[in-house]
Amino acid sequence: MSLGLFGTLGLAARSLQTQQAGIEVAGHNLANVNNPAYARQRLDITTAPPVSTALGPQGTGAEAVSIQSLRNALVDQQIVAEGSVSSYWDAQQQALEFAQAGLGQQIDSTTGSNGTSSQEGLAQGLTDLFNEFQSLSTQPTSLAERQVLLMKASALASQFNQVSQRLDGLRTGLNTSLSSDVDSANKLLSDIANLNDQIISSEINSGEAANDLRDLRQQKIEDLSQLVNIDVAAQSNGGVNITIGGVLMVSDKNVLDSLQTYDAGGGQMLVRAATAGTPLTLTGGSIAGTIDVRDGTVAALSNQIDSLAALLINEVNSVHAAGYSLTGTTGEDFFSGTDASNIAVNPTLLNNPSLVQASGTNGAVGDNSVALALAQLANQTYASLNNQTFSQSFAQTVAALGQSLATANGQISDQQTVQEMLQQQRSSISGVSIDEEMTNLSVYQRAYQASARLITVVDDLLETLVNVIQ
Amino acid sequence: MIRVTSNMFPDSLVNQLARLGQRQQQLQSEVASGQRVQFPEDDPPAVRRVLDLQAEASGVAQYQDNIARLKEQSTVAYDAMNALKNVSDRAGEIATQADGTKSQQDLSAYATEVAQLIQQAVQLMNGKYEGDYLFGGTLSNQPPFVLATDSNGNVTSVTYQGNTSVSQVEIAEGTTLAALPVGANSTGNGPAGLITDSRTGADFFNHLIALQNDLLAGNTTAIQSTDLTALQADEQNIVGQIATTGALQSRMDAAQSIAEGRSASLDKLISGQADADMATVMVQLNQAQTAYQAALQSGARLLNLSLLDYLQ
Repeated sequence: MSLGLFGTLGLAARSLQTQQAGIEVAGHNLANVNNPAYARQRLDITTAPPVSTALGPQGTGAEAVSIQSLRNALVDQQIVAEGSVSSYWDAQQQALEFAQAGLGQQIDSTTGSNGTSSQEGLAQGLTDLFNEFQSLSTQPTSLAERQVLLMKASALASQFNQVSQRLDGLRTGLNTSLSSDVDSANKLLSDIANLNDQIISSEINSGEAANDLRDLRQQKIEDLSQLVNIDVAAQSNGGVNITIGGVLMVSDKNVLDSLQTYDAGGGQMLVRAATAGTPLTLTGGSIAGTIDVRDGTVAALSNQIDSLAALLINEVNSVHAAGYSLTGTTGEDFFSGTDASNIAVNPTLLNNPSLVQASGTNGAVGDNSVALALAQLANQTYASLNNQTFSQSFAQTVAALGQSLATANGQISDQQTVQEMLQQQRSSISGVSIDEEMTNLSVYQRAYQASARLITVVDDLLETLVNVIQ
Repeated sequence: MIRVTSNMFPDSLVNQLARLGQRQQQLQSEVASGQRVQFPEDDPPAVRRVLDLQAEASGVAQYQDNIARLKEQSTVAYDAMNALKNVSDRAGEIATQADGTKSQQDLSAYATEVAQLIQQAVQLMNGKYEGDYLFGGTLSNQPPFVLATDSNGNVTSVTYQGNTSVSQVEIAEGTTLAALPVGANSTGNGPAGLITDSRTGADFFNHLIALQNDLLAGNTTAIQSTDLTALQADEQNIVGQIATTGALQSRMDAAQSIAEGRSASLDKLISGQADADMATVMVQLNQAQTAYQAALQSGARLLNLSLLDYLQ
């Protein structure tokens, strides 16, 4: 006994279905060629169960058994981990770029009008101030020199104010982006829990992997890893558990906990688990990057600028207060304020430049000893500035910021290489190749044609048989 | 063999173009600004050095300004001292000529001239530079010398109302200099007194007044024995001050040329840290452009190729 004509007709019909499934899968792949979350799928075809005949077991054609998604778990895991590292440095770099712009310190080595290369920003402001004290010391009675001095001092004070304001603005901006990142992370956590739910129920019902849902979940996991470093544990039922900073956030279809920002004191916004209430120590992702840069380089920068301004106010005032003005008044401060945010030139002096106290002796208006002492503050080193002068200390601050930014830039470019390599690997495994799919399409098309041909042949045979009986 | 998929070409092409574009942008801004470093992130240690050097250069430029101003002041004082020496010369001539051979009429005429000379000298000593009296020490807002005359126009006294301290101006880091003498200093220390100085015995105005009074009184003996020698001491003092001022000016010139040299070498150092090596940068820019073009060209060709073109 063999398959018989009807058996062969069934075989041909199965073959048609199989080839059609192949064409559908190729079509699905082609449609998703530009979907970055998509992993290419492949139709698994096996031989249909044979029937035993007198000739031995005889094949009954082929059938499609499953559609497989081609993914590599190791590459996926690497991409999640490296995504956290990249976005950590991206967040730092962005904030530091703002800080650098806020500081407004550039190098201009072109020769200026006075024959030497000019500085810019606060560095220029500081040297200008001390140079004007020098100029005043050469002409202690000159109202013009006093006017210029007060103008330059006001310019320096408002430069300090602006830098302070910009850094404050940067801190506010970083806190805002922190809470928006936390919101996005919570949204992603609940998305992942939802997808877990769909995947688990779909896989229980069909017994097959829910490829497209898994692709979508993988993308959500990768998006989440950009915000915060996570641990992903795959479960046997198809779900994944997400742990952040040691706290289990998502298990199966349940969101067990979420992220929350809180004020750790003094407006310092940190992140904790909302339900467990435990502060989270994060090491990767843009949330950790934002916190680290805010409390690290940006805070240090702001402190250094503030203490520089505070020391300048104190030192200049203590020398100035001991001097005498053109009208014999004494004891007036030169600067008002306590730090970079509120430093200003004493308005009494601004209203009447002759009240600048340049003389060391009451009545001796030609005496310049106080102006000279003020000018000589430029070259004085201070223990609180690491034995540096005002200008040197500021240059150090600028260089330190530059160093942080240069480090972030270097890390990012290294990280880019790693990411590109991983993406290439993923593309190589999971990416859709149009050429490949077109070839498959042709292959399935030919096979379909051939199977159809089989039906025609069997049909002919049947007709012949029927005619013989007639 | 690595499996190459459809989006690997465009993805890596985009990355390569981005990198080359960034490189070109960086090199272009170096060419345009002529600077290797512009922002602190470009090269933090170099930025630190440049800022320090620029602060120093700016200080040196200020010292040059200080010296220039000090020198102007000193030149004005020098001219006044030279004119004062002419007064002293004429007074000396009068004292020498006023011997016993002169009639009282001649002596009276001399006396009138001496009174004029005193007034002229007071005027010189009350000279100003940019609104400040030059020879009153740091009491620069009032004339240092006050002249009193009697009804006949004879000088009765010239009093000094300045003080004996002068302003020191910084001409190099830690080095200060005072350009001016004071009008009178009888304290025996501090800045030199141009008219009166207890250390040299100079007391020009009082000696001139004594000469004037002796001329009026016809006391030629006193003139020859006392006034003439006293006036010679005054002249010595003035000449000494002129010489000192000359020496100060050459010291200023020396400080100026040191500052100029320092300025030039600082500029060179800054340029060495911050400036781009144009030849190298231009070559690098050309290389980057060539690579960019090649990437665009090859990319454009590969992106157009597809199996679809050959399937019927």
